[in-house]
Amino acid sequence: MKKRALFTLAVSTLFVGLQAVGGSSSVQAAEKTIKFGAPLPLTGALAPEGIKIQRGLNLWMDTANAKGGIKVGNERYKIKIIYQDYQSNTPRAVQTAEKLITDDKVNFLFSPFGSGATKAASGVSEKYGIPTIASTASSEAVYNQGYKYLFGTFTPNITLTQPLTNMVIAKRPETKTVAILARNDFFPLAIANVMKKSAAKRNLKMVFFEKYAIGTMDHSSALVQMKAAKPDWIFATGYLNDLILIRNQMSELGVKVPVLTMVAGPAYKEFIDGTGKLAENITSAAWWHPAVRYNGKGVMGKTENFNKLFKAKYNLVPDYAEASATAAGIIFQLAIETAGTLDHKKVRDALATMDTETFFGPIKFGANGQISSLKPPVFQIRGGKPLVVYPDVIKQIDLKFGIK
Amino acid sequence: MLYLQILLNGLLLGGLYALIAVGFSLVWGVLNVINILHGTFIVLGSYIAYFAHLYFGIHPFASVIISGSVLFCLGYVIQAGIINRVIAAPVLMTLTLTFGLDLLLNNAMLIAFTADYRKLILTDSLGSYDLWGLILPLNRVAGVGLAALLTFGLYRLLRDSNIGRAIVAVRMDREAATLMGVRVNRINAVTFALGALMAGAAGSIFSIIYPISPINSGLFLGKAFVICILGGLGSVPGAMIGGIALGVIESYGALFFGPEHSTTLAFVILIALLIFRPTGIMGRKGYE
Repeated sequence: MKKRALFTLAVSTLFVGLQAVGGSSSVQAAEKTIKFGAPLPLTGALAPEGIKIQRGLNLWMDTANAKGGIKVGNERYKIKIIYQDYQSNTPRAVQTAEKLITDDKVNFLFSPFGSGATKAASGVSEKYGIPTIASTASSEAVYNQGYKYLFGTFTPNITLTQPLTNMVIAKRPETKTVAILARNDFFPLAIANVMKKSAAKRNLKMVFFEKYAIGTMDHSSALVQMKAAKPDWIFATGYLNDLILIRNQMSELGVKVPVLTMVAGPAYKEFIDGTGKLAENITSAAWWHPAVRYNGKGVMGKTENFNKLFKAKYNLVPDYAEASATAAGIIFQLAIETAGTLDHKKVRDALATMDTETFFGPIKFGANGQISSLKPPVFQIRGGKPLVVYPDVIKQIDLKFGIK
Repeated sequence: MLYLQILLNGLLLGGLYALIAVGFSLVWGVLNVINILHGTFIVLGSYIAYFAHLYFGIHPFASVIISGSVLFCLGYVIQAGIINRVIAAPVLMTLTLTFGLDLLLNNAMLIAFTADYRKLILTDSLGSYDLWGLILPLNRVAGVGLAALLTFGLYRLLRDSNIGRAIVAVRMDREAATLMGVRVNRINAVTFALGALMAGAAGSIFSIIYPISPINSGLFLGKAFVICILGGLGSVPGAMIGGIALGVIESYGALFFGPEHSTTLAFVILIALLIFRPTGIMGRKGYE
């Protein structure tokens, strides 16, 4: 009996001891790791976009960790990004963001993809007071909710359409009419609406403005109506699948136009691969382009260095979504290092007062949390490559007209 | 001319829609299996056409034979090896089974091919033909022509061959067919395989029209459902009429109500049909 009691005592002591060792080591590990939550659409209709964000974030995490991680006061913390797939389902994005905060206990959060899901999930991070950076949300409606903890790396949509409109009119003054075909989705519709405003501001006549439903498999009726309206400029919005189909059907139905702008898709290599010669002379605008040149702070340094590291890791030329995701990571890192603490309120304040430059561009947020310092480039596809036509400091080619 | 062009666009779209639905309708009508895998089968057919073109320069119209054969074999194995085991169970059971199989196959394709959109670009594209102001997109016209040929082939097979008559017999009365010596399990497998073959062939033809990604499978499946209900289950002419009706209705819906509501008109008609003629336009009683 005595032996048995001794044995039980020994086993329980060992068990408690092991627990203590395990506990202290996990505490140690937790002390040296900063957890970032990333709810992303890794499967479903938005999976290509979700994977792009993941690529950008992973590049930041790996590069920063290789250099010792994030410096907080006198200590260094490794970065750990916890990805959760919300399967391209916006309501699930909100649940996923909440799960990352409450179950995974992340310190900071990246927003889901696009303006719609970002807006939906922003209420969750605000409720818990978790600083959150959106890397792919541009609509002002996302930021004009009076939230304090949401910051975004994309300027308002009008900063894409206004320079484009000014340039088209300056280079081709006979441009008088515009036709717009927009995907009935948060961002594609928002950019179509600001294009409508930009066109009205420059006295362009709107000869066609229609929305198409998500999952539309045929655009021929809309295109035939557009063709009959004989516009000088067609502005089509949507994602890769839609825009590849629209461009191909334009060609099939003989829709020719002096200016064709598509947002958002032509910045992606997959668009050019999917349309081949039909991509020639399509214009677009995006928040970033590999041709921009900035002397960035943070782990990436200059833009050229980011391009090089991205190419080395993925054997791909980065596009604006991937670059923005990497930039979002760097912005978090710079804010945490400036604040010298992981305290949510202090990091949030460091983000709000940030005034710096990264490979992505100058970083300064407006009072609503949306970036105010970027000048998004306009580009045109020429010879199978997107080349910059605006702003002048990084211009690679002159704008050309004519879509066959 | 605008109305005529939209009618032509609608007919061409309808021809493609019919091809989406014909295999799905056959499987549902004969086996009483709602094949959730159908959309993924179409996408797999598109990938076969894409890679056959990329690596061997095979035109997608020619690769219809390859994708059709591959999908026929895959369909036969799935029905004979898996679905036949629960074929007698209520329809919800087979629906859940094909749903699960679809998750597996679709995710395997996501891993193998990624979700990135690819597009097969023909170097010798037929372009368009201007017929007195009416634009004929020739690749699409040829695709629909081939689709019609395949559908007609399936129709003749069902009517004229022994195996076709056996399939029709199983559809009409499973027990009676068994009593007459028809090997029902084998007929089930052949029917499912024929449905998959039509999906694979559709995928090949679609590869020149639509961007290819596993995530498009839901779009095809959704259309197949609507067409089957419009046209009526289990008959080839039903799928043809349903497909063409949907194509034309959507095209005129886009003209009159805007592209945003192109499907609204189609769904209003669908609801009306479900109320007043649940068998669909061409369907027979007992298949509603």
